[in-house]
Amino acid sequence: MAEQLLEQVRDVVDGQIDFEGQKLVELINTVALTAVGVVAFLVGYVLQDIKLALCIALGGTALTFLVAVPPWPIYNRNPVKWLPIGGGARAQPITLVVDEKTVG
Amino acid sequence: MHSSWMRIQNVFSYFTTVLFALGACIAVSDLLTPRAPVVNSLKFTNLQVVRGRPHYYSSKHEEYAIIKFSLDADLSSLFTWNTKDVFVYVTAEWPSSSSASANTTTNQAVIWDTIITAPSSDYLGNYGPATLKKLRKSAAGKSIDPSRGKLVLKNQRPKYQITHPSGKIASTEDVTLRLHYDVQPWVGVLMRNHNVDVGLWKKLEGSVSRTFTLPSLKKKDEAKKAKA
Repeated sequence: MAEQLLEQVRDVVDGQIDFEGQKLVELINTVALTAVGVVAFLVGYVLQDIKLALCIALGGTALTFLVAVPPWPIYNRNPVKWLPIGGGARAQPITLVVDEKTVG
Repeated sequence: MHSSWMRIQNVFSYFTTVLFALGACIAVSDLLTPRAPVVNSLKFTNLQVVRGRPHYYSSKHEEYAIIKFSLDADLSSLFTWNTKDVFVYVTAEWPSSSSASANTTTNQAVIWDTIITAPSSDYLGNYGPATLKKLRKSAAGKSIDPSRGKLVLKNQRPKYQITHPSGKIASTEDVTLRLHYDVQPWVGVLMRNHNVDVGLWKKLEGSVSRTFTLPSLKKKDEAKKAKA
């Protein structure tokens, strides 16, 4: 019981996402933070308000953290399909070719 | 980016890069803003030389010059979104006495200074509660307040009484007053006034007053004689 609970806690803290999700997070991170920087500068320069620029930069970064860090379900839509454990009866015999010789 | 911790690290890492770039852009934006500070008038209004001691227990007697002055300057173009505060000071300058061999150094002493804060840095200023309230009220709804750069002082008492390391300052000739300023930005390098145009930044016009001579020391018995 305790072990199962620990397992669940570990999953939440780890927050693992799949490979497609990782690609998406990387893109969101780069685009969002760059946009935040540009918007902060332009708004600050036009309104001549450096406090506002800082607030936009920090607020935008906080939002980016919120979007990018937790393992949202959208990042787990393409789970990796593993081969069955131990091969099993359905597993096809694998032929490997090494140096033009068939192995296995 | 497979675990939450890894994603925190990645987002924070790129955030620092963006913040640095933003800061660099803000610092460079200063160069694109024209500055044209000008001193309309700077002149002494009252000169006095007195004898005194540097501190109460000192047995050394020195001469102190008290230079009252009037100033009319417009430094409003120094206030942009990146200006944290402007430090303004007035110095008295005079060449070393010619008797001291081939010494051509210039003596320079600050007689008055002030810090003009921007509305974004009012809370950092060394103000009393009443002054702070007044400043905040005058800048309400404004992110920058260039009107604070307009300095008009009439017959201003100096903050500092000046002397010379030798202790002699009476009857000094060729004394001039000069206005200086330092602009402290939020991001970037502290810039001071310059005497040549740099890009869009004009030099400080009319920062030097006309030359004058400090009065001689008033003798005590002479004053008594005048009274009698």
